[in-house]
Amino acid sequence: MSKFQTSIHEYLETLPLQTFNRLYQKPATCLAIFRLLPPLGKQIIMSSLYVDAPIPVADMKLWFKESTGLAKHKEAMQRLKALNIFADERGNYTMNATFLEQFRNALTGGGNSLSFGLATSTPDKHHVDIAFLDDYATKQWEAILHFMVGTTEGRPPCKGVLNLLGRSGLMTGGPDTPQSDSMDARDFANQMARQDFGVPKITHKGFQFLLQDINTQVWAFLLQYLNMAESLNMDLVEVLTFFFQLGSLELGNDYSSETLTPTQTHLLEDLKAYGIVYQRKRGSRRFYPTRLATTLTSGTPVLLGSHTNPTKLAATAAARKAEEEEEDDHGFIVLETNYRIYAYTDSPLQIAVLNLFVHLRDRFPNMVTGVITRDSIRRALSKGITAEQIITYLTAHAHAQMRKNSPILPLTVVDQIRLWEIEKNRLRPVASWLYSQFNRQQDFESTFEYASELGVVLWSNQKRRMLCVSTEGHQAVGAYVRKLITKHREQQGQQAQQHQQHQHQQQHVTSVAS
Amino acid sequence: MTSVITSVCLLNYKDDSNLLVIVIDTNPFEWEHPSAPLKLNLALKHILAFMNAHLAGRHDNRLAVIASHVGASKFLYPTLNEPTPGSKVQTKKDANVYQVFKVVNDAVLTGIAKLLQDPRPTLEEKDLGSSKIAASLSLGLCYINQALKSDGMGHVKPRILVLTVSPDSSSDYIPIMNCIFSAQKANIPIDVCKIWGEDAVFLQQAAHITEGIYMRPDDPRGLLQTLMFSFLPDMFSRSYLHLPGQDEVDFRAACFCHKRIVDIGFVCSVCLSIFCSFSPVCSTCRTKFAFQPLLPSARRLGAKAGASNPGSPRPSSSSTPSAS
Repeated sequence: MSKFQTSIHEYLETLPLQTFNRLYQKPATCLAIFRLLPPLGKQIIMSSLYVDAPIPVADMKLWFKESTGLAKHKEAMQRLKALNIFADERGNYTMNATFLEQFRNALTGGGNSLSFGLATSTPDKHHVDIAFLDDYATKQWEAILHFMVGTTEGRPPCKGVLNLLGRSGLMTGGPDTPQSDSMDARDFANQMARQDFGVPKITHKGFQFLLQDINTQVWAFLLQYLNMAESLNMDLVEVLTFFFQLGSLELGNDYSSETLTPTQTHLLEDLKAYGIVYQRKRGSRRFYPTRLATTLTSGTPVLLGSHTNPTKLAATAAARKAEEEEEDDHGFIVLETNYRIYAYTDSPLQIAVLNLFVHLRDRFPNMVTGVITRDSIRRALSKGITAEQIITYLTAHAHAQMRKNSPILPLTVVDQIRLWEIEKNRLRPVASWLYSQFNRQQDFESTFEYASELGVVLWSNQKRRMLCVSTEGHQAVGAYVRKLITKHREQQGQQAQQHQQHQHQQQHVTSVAS
Repeated sequence: MTSVITSVCLLNYKDDSNLLVIVIDTNPFEWEHPSAPLKLNLALKHILAFMNAHLAGRHDNRLAVIASHVGASKFLYPTLNEPTPGSKVQTKKDANVYQVFKVVNDAVLTGIAKLLQDPRPTLEEKDLGSSKIAASLSLGLCYINQALKSDGMGHVKPRILVLTVSPDSSSDYIPIMNCIFSAQKANIPIDVCKIWGEDAVFLQQAAHITEGIYMRPDDPRGLLQTLMFSFLPDMFSRSYLHLPGQDEVDFRAACFCHKRIVDIGFVCSVCLSIFCSFSPVCSTCRTKFAFQPLLPSARRLGAKAGASNPGSPRPSSSSTPSAS
């Protein structure tokens, strides 16, 4: 979750002020961005939303407790400033006027922006229910994942998806799809992308991608899409606005596509391929958001199928949730303290993902068993998967029985996986300068003393008169050594010129015990 | 190694979804009083914006609204008894409003309109009790209990906010105290916003005991800002923020016999019931007191009824009978 949040944040923070001002014109976007903020950032906005005067910096500091809150305050303000929600003007914090107005509109339902999706006025003749939408979204999305792990199940995803997979570096290569007759920018990009690829093959990044929860995966896709949109001359603001709008729609309702701009209509076509929206046929006037869409901006990883609809009655929602969890195949992993793993699944996708870091042993019709070993973890680590990703994956897919434990996963296993990772990082490369071949011990010693006063010594050996200095310290220490040399020269005249002081520049590898 | 473990532990203290139960005092006798600084329909606008702000915070934030009316207390949202499928068709979707907000706002507004349309309660009832705060608190606590039980992960952080205008009704003392102690035991903070008027003694104690926030805004017309600033932060944010506290808490209790608020009274040594005057048999637990207290009239203490007598074991006086 944090990963997706930071990634969308990082993306947003690169945008210029003008883009923000245009983005904030839609209440739905304001609300979605608001939800991505840290809790105290939200509180700062809410506290100052109905304060009309600018707030002095010192005053806002008083809101927070000195001991614990100030660090959080600083962190939150940094985010808010990066997103151009707040600006610092002559010791006062002022809120972005567009954001202020539209966010108030979002809360009170004012304005006339139609940003929360226009519902269709007539009932759909071919109405589909939530179960159908879930099924559709799961099918579409898993088809992509299946394709990535190379299982033959499901039909191969369409061209746009393949292109995106290649572009994002999740897979290398693209199949030779027949040339389409309409040659728009997208096809051109597709063609370009295809040229240097052979057979499609999953990359290390792709493996990492598979371990993420669905929400993160969807966002990774959409961010890649945003990057591509720029090169395809699509209006970034319209694309982002549409993404955020999707997050505010209600599952199981149909929305009219009439208010969409041409760019957004185009976008709809692409999102259909990912399973984020459903449209009965191309050019239909209505579309249904699926669960992938409605949980986009929720900020929490929501597993497909175990989401409660907040507008539903609490009682029925609870009952429904329990029902859904039973049929939900996402909590299927049982991990024991003896490193054994039992996964109740027959999906080749899940098994392929598990196979990344588990030594699988037996396969039964409805489950596989395996054991986590040092080798299996190291194999995964060498593919660029981190321990954290493995642990998150196991936690997210823990069996309902496991969820009753606190913490969910056995601590021994979690710690061991982390230790195996740390084990791998025993060596740490640091760029440095090596000083060697001091002719006199006292030269070495004075240089060493000088360098350690500066605190730049990384490693030294008294006997061999060798000294390793960090790059920041090189200039000062180098100057010192040169001064020593000239002093000697003056003292000894032309006597002995054998005082050679060599400086070697090399990438020195300091070993650091973990 | 230690860092590994602490990082695991820290995960448990993340901010979670919040369940906010709002109890709105809809006592028309107070709201429509000519001297009221804020009318109900205007205050409702503020409260609705506040509800939306709460729901905007996280997508999984939950809300329940209870109206504490004269002689009745009713769920406004979620409406438990009425079937919603019918109403779902009726609500026209508005593309300018976030659907979640709209559902809640509509439910609250129609609920209150319905309450106010009901035939006005007679004056006798008004004399009996101002509004059913205790009943609403019980409803809220039951709702929270149910919500916590159905949430297997135990991640929902509940709290109660009472928005009140009515004065204390001393007849409600015992039920309110029971609610407070239940809330304290279940770790549910009760926030109280006394929109105007005198301090509400019992609710002030409620906030104090459950570590909630009690506030009486200086200007009721700025209600929304007060709500946003002081009552919106969830339990996670509160650990980082300076929030209004109470300098002085009025710990007075109401006697069990005449429901009068007393400074000093008689306390049963067995069941700790409070009485304003001495009675030889405790009306709650039927304990018989086989002695005569040193009556204040004998000691010429005047108005200070029931002053303590160090020599006698009972009746003991207590200024803080509620301290448990």
